[in-house]
Amino acid sequence: MIASIAAELLLLRKRTGVWVLLAIWAALSAFFGYLLPYLVYRSVAAGPVRAPLTQLLPQHVVENLAGSFPFFGGAIVLILGVLAFGSEYGWGTFKTLFTQRPGRLQVFAAKVLALGLALIPFVLIVFVLGAAWGTLIGRVEGAAISAPAALAVVRALLAGWFILAVWAAFGVALAVLTRGAGLAIGVGVLYALAIEGLFSGFANEVALLRPIVKGLVRANAYSLVKPLSGSSAASAGAGPGFFTGPFVPSEQAFVVLAIYLAVFLGLAALLLLRRDVA
Amino acid sequence: MDKDLAIETRDLVKRYGERIVAVNRLSMRVYRGEVYGFLGPNGAGKTTTLRILAGLVRPTSGSATVFGDAPGSDIALASMGVLVETPTFYPYLSGRDNLRVLARYAGVPEQRIAPALERVQLASRAGDRFSSYSLGMKQRLGVAAALLKDPKLLILDEPTNGLDPAGMADMRALIRGLGHEGRSVLLSSHLMTEVEQICDRVGVIRTGELIAEGSPDELRDRDRLRVRAHPIDEARQIVSRLSGVERVGGSDGALEIDADPALASAINRALVSAGIDVSELRQERGSLEEVFLELTQDRTEIGVSSHDS
Repeated sequence: MIASIAAELLLLRKRTGVWVLLAIWAALSAFFGYLLPYLVYRSVAAGPVRAPLTQLLPQHVVENLAGSFPFFGGAIVLILGVLAFGSEYGWGTFKTLFTQRPGRLQVFAAKVLALGLALIPFVLIVFVLGAAWGTLIGRVEGAAISAPAALAVVRALLAGWFILAVWAAFGVALAVLTRGAGLAIGVGVLYALAIEGLFSGFANEVALLRPIVKGLVRANAYSLVKPLSGSSAASAGAGPGFFTGPFVPSEQAFVVLAIYLAVFLGLAALLLLRRDVA
Repeated sequence: MDKDLAIETRDLVKRYGERIVAVNRLSMRVYRGEVYGFLGPNGAGKTTTLRILAGLVRPTSGSATVFGDAPGSDIALASMGVLVETPTFYPYLSGRDNLRVLARYAGVPEQRIAPALERVQLASRAGDRFSSYSLGMKQRLGVAAALLKDPKLLILDEPTNGLDPAGMADMRALIRGLGHEGRSVLLSSHLMTEVEQICDRVGVIRTGELIAEGSPDELRDRDRLRVRAHPIDEARQIVSRLSGVERVGGSDGALEIDADPALASAINRALVSAGIDVSELRQERGSLEEVFLELTQDRTEIGVSSHDS
């Protein structure tokens, strides 16, 4: 199994698309998490709008960035999940893999585990670069800089990975369901960005939608990181990924997301095991 | 279970929906150390059969075993190298890295990669991306991948496809060599000369059914008589009325008669006594290609199975 995972990691490591997604994710986080708020800070002379500078400092990296995972982080790794499985259909390489020694289930497990490992740099890079940007801004502004609380960082890394894993698993399920990458990316991104976004957007005005929204991935993902975001939860509300609720308790959010993860992966595994490979 | 068997299928059926029967009650056996040619026109069910044996497709009914185990099982997969249809690899990886991925999946040491590449004469281009390979190079890489596990059985679907004449000759020599090493080879091909040169036994499949099986010599051993006579139409009528004559065809102004060669004198007598000039009467042996066309031509146009190639 370890050799199979190593094979999958080789595939992911050598694939340009994976690095492009990582770069986009890092750039988006830096732009919306640091550059844009800093430009706003610099362009406003005084007043309450200046307060966000403290959010940009490295000691607040967790609060500042935790809210980016449920939204565009999710959409980006959804594409990663689709690419990891959907391209195999396009290239016909499932046929090649399935005629090697391990059975289909082991191939599936190796791909999923390698994908899970590949998400680690996606989580790390955001916080590492965030801390670097925060340090730079703090130095430029002459603000007091300190390290973030270690426990908060660990919790944020775990929560961030878990949220990305759910979205990546959604991508995997879509890719296997549609036996390809194109349609899966289209449907997945549309759902993640538009459909869940619209439901969430109207949930505060239309009471009927609130229980539905509470069951969606986005609401549960935001609910999971809300305790980490602390008082700055609304920071995600100033740009893309605007989310003002409804929230659910973080424990409930964890369980719901775990169910999503299991359903997405279970569905994909079932289809992969049962279907003929053309 | 017969220990000499590498592959056995019994009444194998694969249907796609209600109308398409890709494989129809196919029963065949490939023995250990045998090079078995699998012949059939496009859409005959060859590739579907190979896919079933590789564990990629599940049969609708019937059974198939590879070294006594179900296709797709750990034992079956560990014993076989497969090249079904066009070789499929990761386009962004080099040939060597593609084999590295497969070696890791197959649990074989990566030291086997270099010899496999050498054996298919691809070592010099092993560092290039797969997407830059010609069809022939892709085919060679497919065979190298099939050899990685040092398998007891190779399933090769038209392995000379896309190769130039020299490459085809090399590939045939390679397959013959694999047979001599005691490996079983199930070789699907359109090329009669290829099958004639390489295979110990041949199975002919048409519309999903195995319609003939035997060594190339046995299949060719359908002797026929060739008669040149005048007037030809009258001669045809007389010969077709004789008992023991299975079929009377004709080409190039002569009659081709499927019959026991011992009937030659009776045919000659009948024609001469009817006043027909007989200028030539000889026994000839059909080529495997002729036998194949004869066996498959009748119904290939019906195209019951259009699902596979």
